[in-house]
Amino acid sequence: MRTRDGYMLELERLLQAIPEEQRREWLYDYYMHFEMAAQNGQSEEEAAKELGDPRQIANELLLSYRVVQAESSNSFGGLSRAVFATFGMGLFNLIFVIGPYIAVAAVILALWVSAAAFAIAGIGTIVESVWIGTFTLGQAFSLGLICCSLSILLGVGMNVLTKKFFAWTLQYLKFNTRVIRGKSK
Amino acid sequence: MNIQFKKGVLEICVLVLATSGDRYGYELAVKISEKFEVAVGSVYPLLNRLTQEGYFSTYLKESTEGPPRKYYQLTPDGWKHMRTLVAEWNAFTKAVNEIVEEGIRP
Repeated sequence: MRTRDGYMLELERLLQAIPEEQRREWLYDYYMHFEMAAQNGQSEEEAAKELGDPRQIANELLLSYRVVQAESSNSFGGLSRAVFATFGMGLFNLIFVIGPYIAVAAVILALWVSAAAFAIAGIGTIVESVWIGTFTLGQAFSLGLICCSLSILLGVGMNVLTKKFFAWTLQYLKFNTRVIRGKSK
Repeated sequence: MNIQFKKGVLEICVLVLATSGDRYGYELAVKISEKFEVAVGSVYPLLNRLTQEGYFSTYLKESTEGPPRKYYQLTPDGWKHMRTLVAEWNAFTKAVNEIVEEGIRP
């Protein structure tokens, strides 16, 4: 198989996850690169070497795509996909990005669950006192209100924290997309 | 050149090169890789990212030789972004130069 076809097929395979229209638009640049290089009398091997490893190119494209997606979707799923796209960028990211991301995301999730649990406990106490009556209605109401207020306070705090977490993660990922490789010698 | 210097600087160069008229990818990639010794392959992902961020729009134009070329055109947002980056760059290099000049004075 010709070097150029092999290169383009490899790049296309690596970008399977990208919607077809976007992928075609990107691939055209590399297709044109081979075309123009040939016009300038370069061999396909030289052109491929100049472009560098297709895996590196695919990683860079995937990461910036995921970051743009995460910014517009504003969902945990989108953000996580963007974080995991750094996986291809090397071991450093596995240890210093994906690891801490999972840890902090777990803590945030746990705190949200606690906020929900407080709300359920508060409402549950009141309902229970009406139904069965372990507490008097007065006791149940004060206990319930304390639990509900804690839940609301925690919820408000978590809302801010979650937003910050999103912003910081995206900022770091963007910084990562701006790192440029040196010339492959 | 030190690899740290290249971060971000390429973005400014690509944007500034496109101010004097629409460019096709190959032109930008080769011009920049010659000057900065970066892999040609890393210029295209940069162009793609700037396009996704809305700083470039692209269109195809027939060429007398070979298949149509993909041109990159600065959007109004791109112009604004370019001016911000250039202003930041100027302030930054001015500060660095002042310190360097003071430092090497005997």
